[in-house]
Amino acid sequence: MHGRVKVRTTEEERERKKKEHALKVRAYRAAMGRILKKRDAGELDDEMLGLTVQILHRNPDVSTLWNIRRECVLEKINQLAAAATESSKSDEGQAEAEAESAAKPVEQEDKLQSVYGQELTLTEQCLMVNPKSYNAWHHRCWTLEHNPQADWEREVQLCNKYLKYDERNFHTWDYRRYVTAKAAVPAEQELDFCTEKIKVNFSNYSSWHHRSLLLPKLYPNEQRDRPMSEEKLQEELEMVLTAAFTDPNDSSAWFYQRWLLGGGAQADQPPKVVAFRMGATGAVVAFNKPCPDFEQFRVELASNEHMWKLESWQPADSRRTTWRTQTSIDYQKDESYCLKLAEQEIKLLPLPTGDGAFYFVPPHAASSCSKELFEELQTQLQSCYDLLEYEPDSKWTLLTSALLMRAIDVTANHERSLDHLVQLQKVDALREGYYKDLAASWTLELELAKWVTSTEFPKRFELSAESALTSLPYGQYLAIADELELPAKLKEELGDRLPLTFAELKL
Amino acid sequence: MDFTTFVKPSNGGSGDADAGTNELQFWKHVKYIENHGKQEDDYEYCMTEFLRMSGIYWGVTALDIMGQLDRLERKHIIDFVKRCQCATTGGFAPCEGHDPHMLYTLSAVQVLCTYDALNEIDCEAVVRFIVGLQQPDGSFFGDKWGEVDTRFSFCAVATLTLLKRMDQTIDIEKAVKFVMSCCNQTDGGFGSKPGAESHAGLIYCCVGFLSLTHRLHLLDVDKLGWWLCERQLSSGGLNGRPEKLPDVCYSWWVLSSLTIMGRLHWISSEKLQQFILSCQDAETGGFSDRTGNMPDIFHTLFGIGGLSLLGHSGLKAINPTLCMPQYIVDRLDIEPQRLSRP
Repeated sequence: MHGRVKVRTTEEERERKKKEHALKVRAYRAAMGRILKKRDAGELDDEMLGLTVQILHRNPDVSTLWNIRRECVLEKINQLAAAATESSKSDEGQAEAEAESAAKPVEQEDKLQSVYGQELTLTEQCLMVNPKSYNAWHHRCWTLEHNPQADWEREVQLCNKYLKYDERNFHTWDYRRYVTAKAAVPAEQELDFCTEKIKVNFSNYSSWHHRSLLLPKLYPNEQRDRPMSEEKLQEELEMVLTAAFTDPNDSSAWFYQRWLLGGGAQADQPPKVVAFRMGATGAVVAFNKPCPDFEQFRVELASNEHMWKLESWQPADSRRTTWRTQTSIDYQKDESYCLKLAEQEIKLLPLPTGDGAFYFVPPHAASSCSKELFEELQTQLQSCYDLLEYEPDSKWTLLTSALLMRAIDVTANHERSLDHLVQLQKVDALREGYYKDLAASWTLELELAKWVTSTEFPKRFELSAESALTSLPYGQYLAIADELELPAKLKEELGDRLPLTFAELKL
Repeated sequence: MDFTTFVKPSNGGSGDADAGTNELQFWKHVKYIENHGKQEDDYEYCMTEFLRMSGIYWGVTALDIMGQLDRLERKHIIDFVKRCQCATTGGFAPCEGHDPHMLYTLSAVQVLCTYDALNEIDCEAVVRFIVGLQQPDGSFFGDKWGEVDTRFSFCAVATLTLLKRMDQTIDIEKAVKFVMSCCNQTDGGFGSKPGAESHAGLIYCCVGFLSLTHRLHLLDVDKLGWWLCERQLSSGGLNGRPEKLPDVCYSWWVLSSLTIMGRLHWISSEKLQQFILSCQDAETGGFSDRTGNMPDIFHTLFGIGGLSLLGHSGLKAINPTLCMPQYIVDRLDIEPQRLSRP
């Protein structure tokens, strides 16, 4: 139901089509009727296989027909096995010819292989008609899984062939990952295959994706703060920039580039405490990301003298990044305090006002990198600037150069990277909202880092000068402040999503 | 059984014949859905019987969103659905004579929920069917033949949610773990199985799954949201993967995912609405995948559903997670999780 252009036809043509369709409908109904009758009667024979082929050739999506074929295949396997047992008992078989051939195990195996072979041939034919037929692909996997003699190497070759017809067919790529694992193809070899594919056509997101799975395995990064080893990363950056510059309007390589510049696998890391504050009547804790099951954590506050169990935590925001408790604590200002939860042990600092203790760590900025990688990033940034000379509105170049600047020196390049986002809001207006939110993120990252050195830290957070802000990411970091000075427009925009200050939490 | 008997005789009340495609051809679409399959020997209709149950869900849902559900014969549809429940497994087949499958089981349950008719079937048998398809790694088979796909993870939790049987049935933690093992670190998206390339349709399934299991915090919203908003092309339409053509159904999948994630404002709603409206067939009614192509019932639901999510007037609100009218989700007292804007 995809990609069928509506064409004007003559009355005559329409009549002809109508007749042709009527015949097809009749043929389909007849075949389907016969198939269902035979199935009811348990006749899983060659005629059944022939009937299903008639329909599947035209319409490989009729999954029930594939199920029936699998029933036929299983029936045939059983029959062959039964015949083998019969002949080994040297009994007279029910069908003489069958028993005779079964006497020879080689012929037996040949027959079995031809049963599997028939299914493989059919799926190939069906995939020619519809290369995206989930059913045909699955039937192929099912057949091979059942055949202990399956030739997985041949399947890898088949993928090579199919990827030549369509290098973006995700079914073929999925199948490739499945059969290369079965055939134990080394990851290095697969990486070479990817490189070849990308060289033929840079605009191949599927191939870049495949590559992104192989590299972290082949070249792991021990610190996990980058997707792969720095050495390999540098090579990949070179390769992808060449690709991106070949056609700067093609997004595939730019996506890959942004992944390379990112911080490696973060999603599976548990939430980390980024802010904590306690007073005599309670405490608030904020995480870098939602921590919905925080109620189940064991949380302790320890001074030199005492230990409190902090319990009865209540979420303080809808995302559950911030939690509060009203456990009363007998705070002594000459004592030092320490927060213990899960695997973290956090030393608290006394508040300047002497009425409690706190902890704060701003959102992480870019991680440090080797001299070589640093130089590569600078070279890339220069290349982007050069390209922007000729194409000042090149969206991907504007974005990538902003990302490169931030990877090189986030503080020094802050203003300039924001300028790029402002320009992006114009040249890529569809995503104006995204760029605004990204600008807000970058701004907050910088402001929160600066806040730590402010004289009013952590009681007052001042952001009223940032009048362009339309959202407030990292709001949970502000849970330790008593006063938030935000631009009026932003306050209005946020409404009830405005984060609560420590004072407003009314602990 | 075909769709003919589901359709009440039309009273011919088609409205204004404004042929411009920049306006919603409301009555033409109503008629298109109403007439779908009226000619029982219609070639397309016959050749798609293998997904009839989903076809009915698409038609019923689209008409309900347009406030025209009473144009179909409730009783006939419910009877049809009942006849498709497999007595042995408890799952639903797309039509009589075909085998039960997770995909049609969800469609059947969605249709029955819309008609407030869950009491008409053996719900416990449906639960057994779903539970029996979960695998030790948390994934789900589509049926007993062993195909694994994140689509089926979505179907499983959506069906159980609608039946209000999420508790003490499947192993939710394992199901979540499997879905998360299909998340790609490059773009934050999801494919059909671990290692599979991100694809908007499967992202919808996985984001929907996480919305139903209340685990949206596991998403890398910034990363995935960016990849999703990059699906919008200059035509305003959205594609399913980078460097692909825009499509009304992908528009739905991206749009609903962004809505669930509270990032609808990362694309241009106005341009998307223009694109969806340009995919209407102003002659026959119905929506096609792209401007100028043949309409079908599948794209008609996602066209109408997309317009509803974008707040088009004259349409009932649709729930982005379940792709069903919001009033029905409310009636069932179900609250799929949604994230707020940053």
